Amino acid sequence: MKKDLLTRATGVFTAATLIAGVVTGCGSTAGASSVEAKTDSAPASSEVYRTLDEIKESGTINIGVFSDKSPFGYVDENGEYAGYDVFFAERIGQDLGVKINYVSTEAANRIEYLQTGKVDIILANFTVTEERAQEVDFALPYMNVALGVVSPSDAVIESLDNVGADDEIIVISGTTAETYLEKNYPDIKLQKYDAYAEAKTAIENGNAAGWANDNTEVIAFAIENEGFTVGVPSLGDSDTIAPAVTKGNETLLTWLNDEIKAIGEENFFHADYEATLLDTYGADYEDTLVVEGGKVQ
Amino acid sequence: MHSLGIDVLFKGTNMIRLLKGLWVSVEISLVSVVISIVLGLVVGVLMTSQNRGIKAVLRLYLETVRIMPQMVLLFIVYFGSTRVFGLNISAELSALIVFVFWGTAEMGDLVRGSIKSIARIQYESAYALGLNKFQVHYYIIFPQTLRRLIPLSINLVTRMIKTTSLVMMIGIVEVLKVAQQIIEANRRSSPNAAFGVFAVVFLLYFVVCWPVSRLAASLEKRWA
Amino acid sequence: MDVEVLKTYLPLYNEAILLTIRIGWLGILAAFAIGLLGAVIQYFRIPILKRITAVYIEVFRNTPLLVQLFFIYFALPKIGLRISAEACGILGLGLIGGAYMIETVRSGLESVDRIQSESALSLGMTRGQVFFYIILPQAFSISIPGVVANVIFLLKETSVFSTISLMDLMFTAKDLIGMYAKTIECLFLLVVYYLIMLLPVSIVGTIVERRARYAQFGD
Repeated sequence: MKKDLLTRATGVFTAATLIAGVVTGCGSTAGASSVEAKTDSAPASSEVYRTLDEIKESGTINIGVFSDKSPFGYVDENGEYAGYDVFFAERIGQDLGVKINYVSTEAANRIEYLQTGKVDIILANFTVTEERAQEVDFALPYMNVALGVVSPSDAVIESLDNVGADDEIIVISGTTAETYLEKNYPDIKLQKYDAYAEAKTAIENGNAAGWANDNTEVIAFAIENEGFTVGVPSLGDSDTIAPAVTKGNETLLTWLNDEIKAIGEENFFHADYEATLLDTYGADYEDTLVVEGGKVQ
Repeated sequence: MHSLGIDVLFKGTNMIRLLKGLWVSVEISLVSVVISIVLGLVVGVLMTSQNRGIKAVLRLYLETVRIMPQMVLLFIVYFGSTRVFGLNISAELSALIVFVFWGTAEMGDLVRGSIKSIARIQYESAYALGLNKFQVHYYIIFPQTLRRLIPLSINLVTRMIKTTSLVMMIGIVEVLKVAQQIIEANRRSSPNAAFGVFAVVFLLYFVVCWPVSRLAASLEKRWA
Repeated sequence: MDVEVLKTYLPLYNEAILLTIRIGWLGILAAFAIGLLGAVIQYFRIPILKRITAVYIEVFRNTPLLVQLFFIYFALPKIGLRISAEACGILGLGLIGGAYMIETVRSGLESVDRIQSESALSLGMTRGQVFFYIILPQAFSISIPGVVANVIFLLKETSVFSTISLMDLMFTAKDLIGMYAKTIECLFLLVVYYLIMLLPVSIVGTIVERRARYAQFGD
């Protein structure tokens, strides 16, 4: 521990000058133009990601997961990561023969974490969208998803067209629900939170008329919490959820795709569902949710 | 009527995790303060310099720290530095950098203040006694400055511990994030856990910061 | 940096700065009111109330605003006390700010020499007159630098409002980064807008401080 602090401390001295540079650079126009010159070429000039071999060599893979999104990615009472995404992550670690370092992420940080190389893979219920695919590389999908809206049972929202002018809808910053509502229902007032835990507590506390999110998540919420109903079970296009890596990280991407196909042979994701999601959803959703071997039905 | 969620903390290792989370905050603050004191002494002495260039740079530095919220600095270092310089700085190191950046400015200003507050006559008497410049600073000025500084830097410790609550925003799992994880994992069995758990977090911060700030206050009174 | 991106984001940041300023100043007003009241209670050593004020100061000075906000916004509704995010922001800022303002104003009051109030009383002024015409004006000018420092501190603290769904500057930046990943542009605007909001206060603070000092020494 001591040594750890010391190494961190020495880093500080070098970095102290750096931050001064960033701050003053942003404050003055002269600095701003030099920033401009660098940003566009930054990803190309220095690769921020680690290749498959580099990961194997280091013995540890950094995987970004949710820590507060039960039953997909959360931390149980013994401090262990668990959930549908984590079950898959564990398998990845096992098959790569490396240890896993879980990095707790919020929805809005997922792209950022990949682009800055802070994680190797994002396995945080990441919905594949066109916009995101421009920023990161998605592997084959492992789950189906659409949007849904949950609301208190005594005032169920059955269509987003009926949301009152003063009613607010909760969304989580950086999710597909946020982008979808901003684009298609610009008049609806949104109440935005960073973390799943915050959004859920807010809807429980009655701070908003409804909560729009992945339908998997809102269905789970309605099942687990009395007094809430999913009035809009499916909204917008049906999408898929897939692991994502930093753009250009071909070796890792190829490995992931092969892995997803290979473990599809043994019906891995069905086993995953049964281990992590069955308690919440029952058997009814198994075939609609699970995508096996990367092939969407 | 459900319980108010204190019981959740006694499940599994929840309470220990919460305390570990708190230790993360305390550790970041302590390390930052120690480094800040060292750098602050240097910066503080530089601030008393008559050199216009040094003065202007330090003025800009102080003003930046004074105006920019720590959360903004955290985001700039954690996300911005990779974008601009291609450097990958871990969340913990980012936090440390920001806290030292902030702490050094505050300490520097305090050092400057206490050096200036020492009466001119002390310098003059010391020189008259034949001490050289180094001796004057080492034997006369520093001991007095230090006595004034200690309570103030202890105070800075509590302020840093309080500010560490922000590091949750850059993904460091500290006490507040652990609290959210516990609430989330127990939402079904204990839907009111938010009350108990956040109340305990509130209390934990108080229990850590209060004695420290009392200590600072009493030292300040005694040495004033 | 992409100038087009900056342009499309500007309106969002404009909205955010207005919200930050509105809630920030309402919170600061509340803090000032609490500060004045608490300082008077402490100055006159009003029994019981004095104790309560002391406990209040210790509690709010020794816990982070973020934790206070979480408690007010997420925990209190569990026992039936629910307020809107905006009210919570104002209340939180008012409470933490109040704890700091009391200290500032009180030390201002105490720095006015007791002999002044004794002289004024002997001239036949009532206690109320002495306080409002003699003590308060002097104490006020003495506490100005402290008050300005508190105002800057509180405006900076508004950056944690983002956690309770208030769309302040910090939130807007985080949210846009999350959606479109234009990190540099978002952070650049964030810094610029905080400068716009706080630099004038800081400059005014420096000027006022100089003036207040002259007033004190009888220019």
